[in-house]
Amino acid sequence: MKAVKKPKPFDFVLLAITIVLAIIFIYPVLFALMSAFKSNGDILKSPVAFPSSFYVQNFKDLFAQSDFATAIVHSVFLTVVSEVLIVCIVPMAAYGIERRKGKMTSFIYTFFLAGMMIPFHLYMFPLFKQMKMFHIFGTMAGPVVCYIAGSIAFGTLLYSSFLKGIPLEIEEAAQIDGCSPFQTFWKVTFPLLGPCTGSMIILNGLGIWNDYLMPYLALPSGKAKTITVEIASFVGQYTARWDIVFAGTIISIIPALAIFCMFQKYFVKGITAGAAKG
Amino acid sequence: MERVKGNGGRFKIDKVAVAFIAPAFIFYTLFIIWPTISSVYYSFTSWDGISPNLRFIGLSNYKEIFTSARFGNALKNTVILTVFISIFENAFALILALIVDNVRWGKNVFRSAFYIPVLISGIVSGFIWKIMYNYNFGAINSMLTAMGMGDFKQDWLGNTSLTLIMVGVVLVWKGAGYYMIIYLASLQSVSTDILEAADIDGASPIQKFRNITVPMISGAFTINFTLSLINGLKVFDQISVMTDGGPGFTSETLVYLLYKVGFNEGRQGFGTAVGIVLLFIIIVLNTVQQKFLRSREVQL
Repeated sequence: MKAVKKPKPFDFVLLAITIVLAIIFIYPVLFALMSAFKSNGDILKSPVAFPSSFYVQNFKDLFAQSDFATAIVHSVFLTVVSEVLIVCIVPMAAYGIERRKGKMTSFIYTFFLAGMMIPFHLYMFPLFKQMKMFHIFGTMAGPVVCYIAGSIAFGTLLYSSFLKGIPLEIEEAAQIDGCSPFQTFWKVTFPLLGPCTGSMIILNGLGIWNDYLMPYLALPSGKAKTITVEIASFVGQYTARWDIVFAGTIISIIPALAIFCMFQKYFVKGITAGAAKG
Repeated sequence: MERVKGNGGRFKIDKVAVAFIAPAFIFYTLFIIWPTISSVYYSFTSWDGISPNLRFIGLSNYKEIFTSARFGNALKNTVILTVFISIFENAFALILALIVDNVRWGKNVFRSAFYIPVLISGIVSGFIWKIMYNYNFGAINSMLTAMGMGDFKQDWLGNTSLTLIMVGVVLVWKGAGYYMIIYLASLQSVSTDILEAADIDGASPIQKFRNITVPMISGAFTINFTLSLINGLKVFDQISVMTDGGPGFTSETLVYLLYKVGFNEGRQGFGTAVGIVLLFIIIVLNTVQQKFLRSREVQL
C-alpha cells in the first residue's frame, strides 16, 4: 500500500484557487436561485443579497399568470417520447452497421456521420415546409421526428464505438440457441449496451429539454409551447417582472440538475466517447 | 445448426441489415438530408417562405452575400465571437481540467461545479446574465459599487464596443465545463508510471508539463478547438434573448442574420444561401481538423 503523502502548502493554495473559481462558476446559478425566492422589489433593490424569507409568491404568480403547467407537460412529453423512440431506432441501426460489415453499411455509416456537420439553421426553412407537407407542422409529432432524425449521427457514432467492445461469441451462442437476429439484439446485446444507452439518453435528453428554436417555430402559436420557449417569451413580455421569469428558470434548471447528480458518470462517458471519435 | 452462407445466405444477411438500419435511414433522410438538399435548391431562388411559386434567380443570392455590407458585418461579428469563444473556452477548460486533476480534495465536487453551467439552456443562461449585466439593477454593477470600483460600471450589453464580447463571456462560462471533461479524460490517460519515472529522473514540473502532458493532450486540444469553433458558429439562443442582434447590428452573427431575413423579412431564399455559406465554413474546419489529427498521430 502506498503511504498517503502529507499535504504540502501548494495543495492548500490550489484548493483556495479552485474554491474561488468554483464560486465564480456557480454564482450565476445561485443568483437565479436566490432571485426566484425574492420579491421583484428585492431583486431590483439588492440584487446580491440573500432572500430574507422563503418567498414563493413568484411561483404562484407564474402558474396563475401564464399557462406554465402546459409548457411543463409539453417539455416532458417531447423529451420522453423522443427518447423512447430514439432508443428503439438508433441502437438497432448502429448494430446493423457494425455487425453486418460491408460496402453498403460502411457507406451508410459515413452518410450518417456527415449529419453532424449540417447545422440545423441551414435546413430549417425547408424542414418546416416539409413538415407542413406531412401534416405534422404545429403538432407534437413535428419536433419528435426531427429530434429522432437529429440524434442519429451522434447516436450511431456512440453505439458503434461501444459495440466494438462487445464480444461476438455471446451473440453467436444466442443464435445457436435459436434466437432470431432481432431477439439476439434485443435480448442479448442491447442489455449489454446499458451504459451507452444511458449516455445517449442523457446527452440527447438535455438537448431536447433545453431546445428553443424547434418548439418555438414548429409548435402552434398562441398557446404555451415548452418551458424554454415560455421563458424566452416572458423576457420580452414581462420586462418588469423578473421575479416570475426567475421562478421559471429554476423550474427549467432543477430537472437537469437532478438528472446530472444521479447519472454523472453517463455524462462523462458520453462526452468522452463522442469526442474520441468525433 | 445451419450456418448462414452461400448465395441464399447472403440475401438473408442483406435483409436483416436493411431491417435494422431502415428506420433510422428513413428518419435521417427525410428530415435532415432532404431539407438540406432542398436548401441548396432554395438558395438559388427568391423564396419568401409563404408563396408556393418559386422564382429561380441563379446566383443572385450569393452575389448579394458577397457584396452586402450587412453580410460582411455579420461575418465579422461571427469571426470575432467564434474566435473569442474558442480561445477562452479552451483556455478555461484546460486550466479547470488541470486544477481538477491536481486538487487534493473534492475532485468530484469541483468537476460537477464547473460542469453545472453546461446543463442550463441557452435561453435561461442568456436571461440570467442579461439581468446580471443590467446597468441599474444588475449584480455586476452592484458588486463593483460595493467594492468601491464604481468607475468600472458599464452598460455591459448596451455599449456597442463590448456587446459581442459580453455575449461571448456567457458562452465561455456555459461551455468551458464541457471541454474540461474531454481534457480531463485525456489528462487521466497519462499513466502515473510515466510521471513517476520523470520524477525519479529529476524532471521539473514545467518540464513534465511540456514533455509529457502537452503531447498527451494535443489530440484533445485539436478536437476541442474544432468543436468550439463549430459550436461558436451556431450560437443563437443567447443572442436572441440578450441582444436580438443589437444594438443596431453589433451582435448580429451569420446564424442570426439567416434567421432574421428568413422569418422577419420573408427572404428565406437568401437565408438558406447564408446557411450554405455556413455549412461550407464548417466543412472546411472539419477537414482541417482531420488533417491535423492525422499528422499528430504520425508524430506520436
